[in-house]
Amino acid sequence: MDQNNSLPPYAQGLASPQGAMTPGIPIFSPMMPYGTGLTPQPIQSSNSLSVLEEQQRQQQQQQQQQQQQQQQQQQQAAAAAVQQSTSQQATQGASGQTPQLFHSQTLTTAPLPGTTPLYPSPMTPMTPITPATPASESSGIVPQLQNIVSTVNLGCKLDLKTIALRARNAEYNPKRFAAVIMRIREPRTTALIFSSGKMVCTGAKSEEQSRLAARKYARVVQKLGFPAKFLDFKIQNMVGSCDVKFPIRLEGLVLTHQQFSSYEPELFPGLIYRMIKPRIVLLIFVSGKVVLTGAKVRAEIYEAFENIYPILKGFRKTT
Amino acid sequence: MPGGGRCPDCGSTELVEDSHYSQNQLVCSDCGCVVTEGVLTTTYTDEGNLREVTYSRSTGENEQVSRSQQRGLRRVRDLCRVLQLPPTFEDTAVAYYQQAYQHSGIRAARLQKKEVLVGCCVLITCRQRNWPLTMGTICTLLYADLDMFSGTYMQMVKLLGLDVPSLCLVDLVKTYCSSFKLFEASPSVPAKYVEDKEKMLSRTLQLVELADETWLVTGRHPLPVITAATFLAWQSLRPSDRLTCSLARFCKLANVDLPYPASSRLQELLAVLLRLAEQLAWLQVLKLDKRSVVAHIGDLLQHRHMLVRKAFRDGTAEPGALDTGEEELQGQGWGREDRGHGSLDLPAGKRPASPALLLPPCMLKPPKRICPTPPVSTVTGDENISDSEIEQYLRTPQEVRDFQRAQAARQAATSVPNPP
Repeated sequence: MDQNNSLPPYAQGLASPQGAMTPGIPIFSPMMPYGTGLTPQPIQSSNSLSVLEEQQRQQQQQQQQQQQQQQQQQQQAAAAAVQQSTSQQATQGASGQTPQLFHSQTLTTAPLPGTTPLYPSPMTPMTPITPATPASESSGIVPQLQNIVSTVNLGCKLDLKTIALRARNAEYNPKRFAAVIMRIREPRTTALIFSSGKMVCTGAKSEEQSRLAARKYARVVQKLGFPAKFLDFKIQNMVGSCDVKFPIRLEGLVLTHQQFSSYEPELFPGLIYRMIKPRIVLLIFVSGKVVLTGAKVRAEIYEAFENIYPILKGFRKTT
Repeated sequence: MPGGGRCPDCGSTELVEDSHYSQNQLVCSDCGCVVTEGVLTTTYTDEGNLREVTYSRSTGENEQVSRSQQRGLRRVRDLCRVLQLPPTFEDTAVAYYQQAYQHSGIRAARLQKKEVLVGCCVLITCRQRNWPLTMGTICTLLYADLDMFSGTYMQMVKLLGLDVPSLCLVDLVKTYCSSFKLFEASPSVPAKYVEDKEKMLSRTLQLVELADETWLVTGRHPLPVITAATFLAWQSLRPSDRLTCSLARFCKLANVDLPYPASSRLQELLAVLLRLAEQLAWLQVLKLDKRSVVAHIGDLLQHRHMLVRKAFRDGTAEPGALDTGEEELQGQGWGREDRGHGSLDLPAGKRPASPALLLPPCMLKPPKRICPTPPVSTVTGDENISDSEIEQYLRTPQEVRDFQRAQAARQAATSVPNPP
């Protein structure tokens, strides 16, 4: 189009964004569904009374998982022997349990070294996800969890003024926000406690820490004299991040994956990639850092990263 | 009528219920005589039993365009005319507005958001036809906040499932450069500052292309890079007279706003040019700095593809590829002084500069803080919580009393703001 060269002076002048440009970093609020909790989660609710039952149930689950793994192993042993050895190295943890051997594509429920998964992801671990590139190795990079948002119902109405008065770590400003903001040091978390008895716990780095923190907040509220219970604990959102250590041509990525990506450098320096399966939003930056959010279980974050890594590697060579 | 009634006029039994607009009437079908008629108006008690249907639930809403939507459509057309867009753009933008308006989230939004929606429709239309319109321009015209605009824009793209191509950099350069008032002499622009438009445009395009190749454009707002490139292009076309002019003064002369990041983009671009200059034999001896390199931008741009390949090694390549890169450099003869020698024999000053990593600036800067990997915790979530740990978060009765006293004192102080 040669319209641009024949623009009248007024329109040319307007093509420059004048003073409305915010100096420095453009602020952008991504529309991420924090805390929407729409998918009904089957397992994760528990009262502290039924901990024993839950442990038993989890052990049974684990046994079932291991049985299924062994069956799958036998089926795939011949074909994927080389791949399995590399993925085994990635997934074998120092947990001392029977090393859970997964095909590289089902890296999803691999235990991280040290964390004994008494609180495993309640998804079907053995259904192999359609592999994008069947012969690819796992990336060897594990996303670190940075933030977990969870909710719990304390099961009784609360008097926020009393809580703010008698707790040291609480702040309450009803004109600004209709909840008490409480913080504890270990695990380092923040909770929003509402007068209906519902509570939101943020800032934990793992699911177990989030649950422990929520229990501590519930205990504080109990000690303040309210009949607090611990009902319907549920992880609402998990945020992870990692670094692929090479720069990424975001313009190229948005061209090839247009239906999933949104890249607006005028608004935000990163590319927003909305993966369909699993339903995760990834923020991909030019430096190679990737933020993954929107997960309800840890496995979704790992799966999403394993899906995106081959795509990002495709943009590794510059022209 | 089956009930058995006779028309008083003709005596026929053919009476039908035929309402005249909203008035019920019993009419003889033979002679047309009105036998009985209902009450046209409703009584007060009757109205108490009526249930009103809201406009949004009646069918009238779907048939008519609401006033708010009409206003919005008018605004869309006005904006297209102000921007002097081709007439086809107007129809497309109007169609987008109507499409967006069908969603309940948009229909129920505040007027402020609907105003911003007008801008979004025009922007999307321009982007799809490769017309280089920036969001900043639209926000200025609509007196809108960029945050508000970004939220509405993202929502609209998601709702309508649109495919919006990226801003075309080449078109934006052409449009933006043409807006600089430097192509003819005027009282504010001395003759030595006047420049030929075509020359400046072509050089700016080359500089922007160089910036794009060396990772200065990805992830950043495009306009400050173009401002910096335009400034360098202008300076380099007549360096002797123009080196004294700063970036801020340049924008003021050209009657263009200086975007805040433009100065740091300028520094980055100059650093890249200096690296390229290190690879040119006749420039190596000159020991250029950021001011003196401007005079040689013409030469550097002429050979930019070759120089970028030599000055930078691929920052994304696997570590194994580096060795082959080094050999390639030594093998190429490009008029270098040290062709006969191995690079290890020469002192550091005479050696050609070892290629820098071609990486975005954010990867070249040292990390602000080292984030240690968090220690692996063996938390199960079901541990016992000791009472003492919880006690530390509760106030002692004495503290509670003190706090209450302090609060009361504060209340008293604020309720009497100016004690006599």
